[in-house]
Amino acid sequence: MTSANMGIPSAEFLASVRDALGRADAPPENAYEPLTDDLATLENRAIEVRERIAGELPELSRRLGETAALRGWNVTRCAGVEETLDYVVSLARRLGATSVPRSEQSVFDDVPVDAALAGVGALCWPAVYDGPDSREGIRRRLADSSMGITGADYAIAETGSVIVLPRRGLSRLVSVVPPVHVAIVRQSDIIGTLDDLFALRRLEYHQNGQSGTADMGSYLNFITGPSRTADIEQTIVVGVHGPREVHMVLLDEE
Amino acid sequence: MAEVVTRQFVPASQAAVKDVQLRQALRRAGSGFDGTRREAIAEVSEEVWEGWREQARKIKEHTIGHLDYYLAMLERNVAAAGGQVHFARDARQANAIVSEIARRNGVKTVTKSKSMVSEELGLNHVLEANGIDVFETDLGEYIIQLAEETPSHLVAPALHKTRGQVAQLFAEQLGVPYSEDIEEMARVARVALRQKFLEADMGVSGANFLVAETGSLVIITNEGNGRLCTSAPRIHVGLAGMEKVIPSLQDLAVFLRLLPRSATGQRISSYVSMVTGPKRAEDEDGPEEFHLIIVDNGRSRLLRDPALRESLYCIRCGACLNVCPIYQRVGGHAYGWVYPGPIGSIVTPGLVGVAEAKDLPNASTLCGACRDACPVQINIPRMLLHLRHQQAESNDENERTSSDTDKLLARGFANVMSSPLLLKLGRTVGRAVSKPLAKSGKIGETRLPLISRWTQARDLPVPAERSFRQRWRDELSKDGR
Ligand code: SF4
Repeated sequence: MTSANMGIPSAEFLASVRDALGRADAPPENAYEPLTDDLATLENRAIEVRERIAGELPELSRRLGETAALRGWNVTRCAGVEETLDYVVSLARRLGATSVPRSEQSVFDDVPVDAALAGVGALCWPAVYDGPDSREGIRRRLADSSMGITGADYAIAETGSVIVLPRRGLSRLVSVVPPVHVAIVRQSDIIGTLDDLFALRRLEYHQNGQSGTADMGSYLNFITGPSRTADIEQTIVVGVHGPREVHMVLLDEE
Repeated sequence: MAEVVTRQFVPASQAAVKDVQLRQALRRAGSGFDGTRREAIAEVSEEVWEGWREQARKIKEHTIGHLDYYLAMLERNVAAAGGQVHFARDARQANAIVSEIARRNGVKTVTKSKSMVSEELGLNHVLEANGIDVFETDLGEYIIQLAEETPSHLVAPALHKTRGQVAQLFAEQLGVPYSEDIEEMARVARVALRQKFLEADMGVSGANFLVAETGSLVIITNEGNGRLCTSAPRIHVGLAGMEKVIPSLQDLAVFLRLLPRSATGQRISSYVSMVTGPKRAEDEDGPEEFHLIIVDNGRSRLLRDPALRESLYCIRCGACLNVCPIYQRVGGHAYGWVYPGPIGSIVTPGLVGVAEAKDLPNASTLCGACRDACPVQINIPRMLLHLRHQQAESNDENERTSSDTDKLLARGFANVMSSPLLLKLGRTVGRAVSKPLAKSGKIGETRLPLISRWTQARDLPVPAERSFRQRWRDELSKDGR
């Protein structure tokens, strides 16, 4: 864009940066290793990560639960689908929830929350936009809901975080607008560290790139505990603009 | 650009020192943040922490050293994800770009999540002058927007306000009943802003990091306002200083470990959001347009001087403020611009010009606490000395701090200190002169030239009966020798 109101051309800006650095227009002399996009290297790393995680799974799951609780999640370990449904239902009952938005992730194929919640008179609905007109309506419904349920694309033991990659079937708003958020974490979602996450994401990104569609997805979101602030006298208050109460259900598949 | 009142540092800091409420607020915040920061470091062990600092510093050194290359990579990848990158040389250009995007899209309401760069640019005033309603949504920022003030701390913008002051402000500005209950005040802000989130046409955010490899903007927040600002409106505009870029997604891990721990002692913040371009066709929601504005606004001046370049490694965690004996006494506003504290004393002269901010590099005891706390090992005292030296030697009247008398005094001091005889004489004279002025061993406020600047705000002790040299000779040297 060259309109006068849209800043200066990038070439001009970059040239002035180069000038300040006293540098020629050239890549760094030594390739920067963390940028490697060699697929074989990235695949090997991802395999290493996956194998390590598989070997440590019970321990990682225990650590995830422990860390998540410290970061403010209400952590519940459920032995199977039945227990998970019971937990979700009792939560909805306590909150008096009548409308429960959820994402459309594969976890709900295994954990049929819709039917279970219908049993207690709550309508559980996938927050999926069908057509441009539905946007406003869905937003209003989300704003009026007292809890939202999602799965997790990853859950990180190191930090106690749930990662969601919003896309088709997963609105960015389900986990932030309702005052209570429930995240259902399967064993297969658990990873160890931030480095694990980025190793896996980098592989996927560059794999996409090779086939001509390098794409991170528009959004990657870490959720770690409730929304909080300490902006007035360093006193912590939860539930400012996001949920005040967050639940992590660790589903131990049988 | 935001108003610059850095020339007022001396009177402003004198007033601040006498503000009892401010002192209380600073003490609470400083020791609170620094205490939790230390706990968080102890938890992972000093050794691990030092390893992270090393790693972070190396990443910054490499990136800033090849900044043009990584900015170009970032631009390519933002574009590939469907976003647009704009480059602004100064505040005027950056504000014009945001205004133009708003104009083209008929924007009426803007929600903002915390952005120090937008404070630097003075963006809100420009948008408001164009008839756009602007709402800060971070609670601290919201408070200071209502109070028409500027932030006083990098991570806790309303740190200088007591709960009573906020309660008063809310009662006056929002017409709610006066309540000092902090939960209630947070609720009031939530209710006031909830509707704005959903009806805003444009969301403006800052950026904690920009990932060149993927073209992603990363924001780290606790309240959830950042997520709403970047998800709900039709347009998302990200504002970032050009130094925010890091090369690889892999590099992000270490900064996600360092930043929250250094800032608030949190192991990780409630939310980390990575935004890469606008919503894709198949996404449920998200903005239809994504614009990233990269701002220079004086940064290339810091980049050009190898002695000051490392100030661009700063990740704005605020740890140096929380440990600084000067910041802890005078607070953020005394520094007169957007970036306070030790790092502000370097960045501000760099961005607004040395002549405007002569006092700032001198507002330090050079104790080094900032350098030790800094997660990227920025050697702040070294740069402060460098700036002092530059100022002392400058040929430009406006930049020079030291008068000829100062220079003469300094030279005299050096002579005295290097001659035992003169030192002894000086001590005897000093003692004789100061004794009649003293009350209970201290000299309070006085009008005497030279020392009055010191005694305005603090006491001056009378030289001791026997000097250290004397005591050393008489007793100390005998102990255990
Ligand atoms: S200079 Fe270092 S300690 Fe200070 S705000 Fe920047 S990164 Fe934090």
